[in-house]
Amino acid sequence: MTTQSPPGFHLVLDYLRAKRPDLPVIDPELDLIENRILDSLGFIDFLYLLEESTGTEITLDSVSAEDFRTLNRIKARFFGA
Amino acid sequence: MTTTDPTPAGGLLVGGTRFEEVLGRLVGMSERDYYNPYRLFVWPDALDEDGWWMTPELMVEHGTAAGAELTEEQLRRLSKWESINFYSLNVHGIRELLTEIVARIHTDAFRVPSEYFHHIIGEENEHMWFFATFCHRYGGKVYPQRSFGFGTPAIPEADNFLVFARLLIFEELVDVFNQRMGDDERLHPTIRQVNKVHHQDESRHIAFGRQIVEILHADLRARLSVAQLGELETYLKRYLRQSVDVLVDPAVYRDAGLPDPYGLRRRVLADPAYPAYVRRVLRRSTSFLVNAGILGDDRIVP
Ligand SMILES: [Fe+2]
Ligand SMILES: [Fe+2]
Repeated sequence: MTTQSPPGFHLVLDYLRAKRPDLPVIDPELDLIENRILDSLGFIDFLYLLEESTGTEITLDSVSAEDFRTLNRIKARFFGA
Repeated sequence: MTTTDPTPAGGLLVGGTRFEEVLGRLVGMSERDYYNPYRLFVWPDALDEDGWWMTPELMVEHGTAAGAELTEEQLRRLSKWESINFYSLNVHGIRELLTEIVARIHTDAFRVPSEYFHHIIGEENEHMWFFATFCHRYGGKVYPQRSFGFGTPAIPEADNFLVFARLLIFEELVDVFNQRMGDDERLHPTIRQVNKVHHQDESRHIAFGRQIVEILHADLRARLSVAQLGELETYLKRYLRQSVDVLVDPAVYRDAGLPDPYGLRRRVLADPAYPAYVRRVLRRSTSFLVNAGILGDDRIVP
């Protein structure tokens, strides 16, 4: 999967892995919110990381929590992959 | 939006108590000090672009290595956008506050404070108006919201407590800036006026917030396990820290014309001077929360 990842996506993976070192692999369909890998506190750091990786400013008016629920959704919504 | 837990406040927020006395006094003060914000403020067409827009010692970059690299001209320009971001955060914080209070007013559990809720709702609508007006007039925008409401502790009995604790933390933090900036002679009179007027109203809201947060927490101490209370404490500490972190914003650095806005944010957050800044602007909140037995200590870690 990492070989076909869009540019910048590895930064997202690194960030999430660092948040949960107890998980050896983060399944691309794992619910990141339900499993508390992403939560509202700390979310801002993730948002800025996404902005920096994609080069686009993200306003919360244009996205919903669903866009962040899994790695696959993040990839589709923010990396167009 | 959280729904109100029907069991908690019901038996607690009762009449004939000190809480009701305080509410009566606050309602009286709100009625006495009522003003028309739409006529009160003087809005010049423009404010001096090269002046200080924010008390320099309250800027998040104060005392950091990154801040020391900026010229005074750059710092003044930064103070403009940092202040627009600060008022924008007020606008979004008030949106959350109003949503939560409206969800509770005239429900059974909140019968006793409902009369005062009318004053809070009215006053906060006006605060949101003057903060947004300032942002639009002098910044051409309100910065978009950056925080998301998921991941609060899954302890339904604590919903009301967490809502009012978050609102209190938000209002106390804002007030630390308002109080100082309302009297800072380096700032334009309109900037001072906005901060001063808000500070006057917020002293009542904070008095109310401290009362209700103490009452709701005392109830939880009787109902929750030690582990659950610890979970609330951990959450509140992270919330405290995040409410300061949002003042460090790459969009602000971009608007101030500074290079590498994301890198600059990381440098400020990682600077050895930053934790002292966090402690300083949160001191009022943390000492209240520690004295009330809600936090065990005032250590706010990243
Ligand atoms: Fe307010
Ligand atoms: Fe308020």
